[in-house]
Amino acid sequence: MVAQKTILKTLTGFIACCFLVFSPDVSAQREAVPTEAEIIAQGEQLWGEYVCNTCHKVNEKLVGPAMAGVYDRRELDWIYSWVKNSTRLIQSGDEQAVALYEEYNQLQMPSYDLSDDQILAILAYVRDYEENPPVQAAAETSVEGSSSSAEGTIPAQYLNIIIGVLIVILVLILIVLVLIMSVVKKYLQDKKEDLDEADAEVVSESFSLMAFLRSPTVIGIITFLVIALASKNVIDGLYTIGVQQGYAPQQPIAFSHQIHAGQYEIGCEYCHTGVEIGKSANIPSVNICMNCHSAIKTESPEIQKLYAAQESGEPIEWVRVHNLPDLAYFNHSQHVKVGGIECQTCHGEIQEMEVVQQHAPLTMGWCIDCHRNTSVNAKGNGYYDKLVELHNASSTEPMKVADIGGLECSKCHY
Amino acid sequence: MTNQIKVFLSGLAVASIVGCTAKGDNPGLEYAPQMYHSVPYEPLTQIKDESAGNIISNRTDGKGEFYNSNTNNPYAQNVRKPVEGTVRRNPNDILPYRLGKDDIEAAAQIENPFPDTPEIQAEGKRLYDQFCAHCHGANGKADGKVAPVYAGVPSYTAPAQRNLSQGHVYHVITWGIRRMGAHGSQMSSDKRWKIARYVQKLQQQ
Repeated sequence: MVAQKTILKTLTGFIACCFLVFSPDVSAQREAVPTEAEIIAQGEQLWGEYVCNTCHKVNEKLVGPAMAGVYDRRELDWIYSWVKNSTRLIQSGDEQAVALYEEYNQLQMPSYDLSDDQILAILAYVRDYEENPPVQAAAETSVEGSSSSAEGTIPAQYLNIIIGVLIVILVLILIVLVLIMSVVKKYLQDKKEDLDEADAEVVSESFSLMAFLRSPTVIGIITFLVIALASKNVIDGLYTIGVQQGYAPQQPIAFSHQIHAGQYEIGCEYCHTGVEIGKSANIPSVNICMNCHSAIKTESPEIQKLYAAQESGEPIEWVRVHNLPDLAYFNHSQHVKVGGIECQTCHGEIQEMEVVQQHAPLTMGWCIDCHRNTSVNAKGNGYYDKLVELHNASSTEPMKVADIGGLECSKCHY
Repeated sequence: MTNQIKVFLSGLAVASIVGCTAKGDNPGLEYAPQMYHSVPYEPLTQIKDESAGNIISNRTDGKGEFYNSNTNNPYAQNVRKPVEGTVRRNPNDILPYRLGKDDIEAAAQIENPFPDTPEIQAEGKRLYDQFCAHCHGANGKADGKVAPVYAGVPSYTAPAQRNLSQGHVYHVITWGIRRMGAHGSQMSSDKRWKIARYVQKLQQQ
């Protein structure tokens, strides 16, 4: 990061030098940019107000070019007309403008209603930033680079070291105890005649593992444990037949919900567009992925698979995780749009899942349980008005899904 | 000897039942597979393997019981795009949007069919949070979590954005602009107009 910056700086410096040497006319441009603190402050304010930083950085190329040294590269008048209306400049066939337009993937800079003085003030801010880089910003970027790697690993390393040291200490204590025991035993055996009968027996007693294992108590306990564990496993196993809870298949593209829904807080409906309007929540098509990935992580081999799919038109064969048996009907829009149920209620903490796994058992008991306990979201929904009225006439409890037919067989099985 | 065989067999039975549990790539054992798998074409479940479930197959065409693909469609998919030019019926009788990506100036003249009411605003905000906030930020200040990574996201309150018309906002959601992608396929036209109403509120803050 730092190295890159220095290279960039030397490069810009070098380019600036070239201009200084070869075109003395333009070199005066930098000097024409004011350095008064007042104008710089005005420029900084404008830079923030017009959010230039969404597309430009001073020392780095972002969506648009790096701003540092722009006054060395171009005539001030050219800059003014570009900022005010870049489209007109490109259409007029200006060579520099057309070259810039082509270089940046035909992305046009929007037009801004700024005066010449205001643009000059912004340039003053850029020049000040370039010539006297803010110390804080430089420190921040260098810290950012190192902390991200350090934060996760160092405490874990400490923990491992502590555990290792503890184990070593415990093993040493064990060895010392065994040594002490054998020394004491030896000492006592030498002086056997001084001990009374009971103590002598203890000292000379030898431990037989086979005799211990063959004692009926031990056999009984072991048999009981084996049978208990085996039958628990069998019963648990039988209960999981037909239940795919925990199913987490590998997908053709290693998509992470943890990054998209968790870290970047992208709403579920952004990709699962059917969730409010249909039976299925839908798997996003490639064009939705490309809304971002046309520009983000374009080098990743996983993203390259998207480009390949887009090019060939061949659908990506995602593996379906939630396979509700065909004998039961389920509709997403009824639950999400009408019922107002959070996705996480059934799908678990999806925003923390690196690989999606089936969170709920999706058994009938699980459905029924929720229908018994969930109150109907009748607020602002005229469909339920009469049902609520009827229900309230005979009950003081809130109206549950079960009260309006949520347990009827034919609601889901037909 | 017989004892050993008994122990071995019961151990095998335990192990095989434990293996029924779904985990990782294993979906687990199905209890009544013929009732689990759809006979009609299931839009989001495509099973291309012709031998899938052929042990229990009742089919007369010789394919496995679970085979579920429509060979008449491209890539034998079970889903198919509606015919080009299909118009979706909608409760608000909004006519299909015919303007192309470059007709942004004409689009800017179109009025929002939804009035500026608190209900529309609330619905617009809900949709905005789902579809827009991760880039444009909860308050339209381009401070969503994706914005710094994606770059080039404008703030609605910036002078160049503040006065953009409802029609312009709708057109941009539909077709995209500069680095923003087209979002028309992700939401119906009334959702886009409702979002535009909420964006108007954010522009004016």
